[in-house]
Amino acid sequence: MKIKAQIAMVMNLDKCLGCHTCSIPCKNVWTNRQGAEYIWYNNVETKPGIGYPKNWENQQLWKGGWSLGKKRPVLRSGGHTKKFAGIFHNPDLPLIDDYYEPWSYDYGKLIESPRRRRQPGVRPKSLITGENMRIKWGPNWEDDLAGADVTGREDVNFEGLEKEVYLQFQNVFMLHLPRICEHCLNPGCVASCPSGALYKRDEDGIVLVDQQRCRGWRYCVSGCPYKKVYYNWKSGRSEKCLFCYPRIEAGLPTLCAETCVGRIRYIGVMLYDADRVCEAAAAGGEKELYKAQTDLFLNPNDPAIASAAAAAGIASHMIDGAKNSPVYKLAVEWRLALPPHPEFRTLPMVWYIPPLSPIANLAGNAEGTHIVDRLRIPVRYLANLLAAGDEDTVRLALKKLMALRDYMRARRGAAAPESPGADALLEEVGLTPAMADEMYGLLALAKYRDRFVVPTVQKEEVGDLHRDRGMCGFPPGSQGMEDD
Amino acid sequence: MNWDNLAFVVFPYISLTTFTVGHAYRYATDPFHWNSRSSEILEKDRLKYASIFFHYGVVFTFFGHFAGLLIPQKLLTALGITPAIHMRIALVSGMLFGLLALVGAALLLWRRLGRQRVLRHSSMNDLVTLGLLAAVIALGTYNVFFGHCDVLDTVAPWIRSILTLSPAPGLISSVPLTYKLHVVAALALLGFSPFSRLIHIWSVPVPYLYRSNIIYRQRRAE
Repeated sequence: MKIKAQIAMVMNLDKCLGCHTCSIPCKNVWTNRQGAEYIWYNNVETKPGIGYPKNWENQQLWKGGWSLGKKRPVLRSGGHTKKFAGIFHNPDLPLIDDYYEPWSYDYGKLIESPRRRRQPGVRPKSLITGENMRIKWGPNWEDDLAGADVTGREDVNFEGLEKEVYLQFQNVFMLHLPRICEHCLNPGCVASCPSGALYKRDEDGIVLVDQQRCRGWRYCVSGCPYKKVYYNWKSGRSEKCLFCYPRIEAGLPTLCAETCVGRIRYIGVMLYDADRVCEAAAAGGEKELYKAQTDLFLNPNDPAIASAAAAAGIASHMIDGAKNSPVYKLAVEWRLALPPHPEFRTLPMVWYIPPLSPIANLAGNAEGTHIVDRLRIPVRYLANLLAAGDEDTVRLALKKLMALRDYMRARRGAAAPESPGADALLEEVGLTPAMADEMYGLLALAKYRDRFVVPTVQKEEVGDLHRDRGMCGFPPGSQGMEDD
Repeated sequence: MNWDNLAFVVFPYISLTTFTVGHAYRYATDPFHWNSRSSEILEKDRLKYASIFFHYGVVFTFFGHFAGLLIPQKLLTALGITPAIHMRIALVSGMLFGLLALVGAALLLWRRLGRQRVLRHSSMNDLVTLGLLAAVIALGTYNVFFGHCDVLDTVAPWIRSILTLSPAPGLISSVPLTYKLHVVAALALLGFSPFSRLIHIWSVPVPYLYRSNIIYRQRRAE
């Protein structure tokens, strides 16, 4: 057993309101540079839809992630030798139009225009060519189901469902999906990089691109099934979400998590067995991958694990953080959070609590948790998104959320305080009142200190932060803004 | 000093000096820009065949030049490759890969000049590099098809004389003009390459062939 620590995130989709507030500070701090205009380390998608870049989930098209070889997972787009021989052209690289052509407006016209009978207008100008352009796609083109009757048909999560039925206006459903890099345990981007520029940080599992070693081969972009590594067309190097590592090192949550209005994001440390990563990623059936990944996680409150972690060189503050990790509770103890598209076999580490749909019209029915199959969002859709099609895993998580609601409603006086009905519902899904109280605290109250348990890095481990401030991997004088 | 001395003694050493010193200087002072500067994300339809043809053509042509010009004929004869066989191999492979590289370079030029996105993103450096490459390849391909010159006793020993620091420009003075132009253009390209995007040649990711999939790195490796 080789214990490693990983900083991980959970997003509670049940509370995401799709406001994009997470994307804005991320954009302002990390990707407001030339060549990175189109790059969103954090973006929010509306489902059903094809997302950003277009159809990123469709690996028939993009060949990202891993497929199962004879015994081990193999890169879907081909192994090291094939990549080496084909290095002169990457057939699986998205074109910038698959994301969107970045644009701005010549705002100067508004103030420089001479007096006319009509108001002056501004036209969109491409930030690549400087020419006038027609905007045909953007980073949130499908916001709140805009055009879902067209693009929704291509959503791969409809597999096994009659999509025509669900895309009719009276049946349509919607959920928001905020996305960042998954900082996978078995990252396809790292395995795809010919230069060895991408790496997983030993101390906290954050996946980074070494900007000085990146030679711009672009295999990381196509190797990532979540399409969360981006090629900066100006600097000629790849960039990706850094999990705001300078903030994490200082014990602060990421910008997207810090600013989340709905308090949907949780950050915590997970301990896992790195020796069994390959084995877990090679689980036989796609539906077994979720269980294989959760089996990798180690219980930090087990004294044997804690002492083994200390012996493996994991810093004591990381172990303490793991003991209080909200992510461990949500993902392992309560099994509420699920990994997105586990069938990509990268073992992602940013998980999602599936959303309940609007249930006002169903409330009060004494149907208990069985109504999860009658919610507006079909369980099958969520299962395709979060459990490789395994509906029972999603159903159990949804039932727990329902049982928690009924339990709290009972406690608030909608029923007798000691309502046997609510307690029985809890028991049915394997929860106790004590667990429910704790779940309520973490999910509904969601206090800052409970959501974010981020161990501060010891100063001795990180060198001179004062000197490095504002650089984050970019050497002095090369922030990607240079004009050459 | 006559033109031959200037072009085939002075210029080669200037070129080789900037080539070696230039690469070392660039690597030491500017590692951040050491990459291939791919524009595939902006345009990939035209690039597909252009890039594949060009690169494979150039790579094989390069190895052909390397083996054919630097290895002394005496050594090859000892191995059973007579000058006649050598010339036949050189001509056939030169025609094949030279043409491949030429078609590739032409397609690359067509793409770079014909696609607004790529052109706007091109620096003067990029255009000079591609222009020089196209000129060298075009002259070389012309020579292999239409030139009739025994390079084994002229150009090849001259190159070896340069590399052994005993320059003998007389060896090359008799070859046709197109050969001389090819040599001079190639030397110019060599001298210019450290300051262009061509440096990515030196980053051939050979270690990728035998490294493990996942890389872990300590926060402070150094």
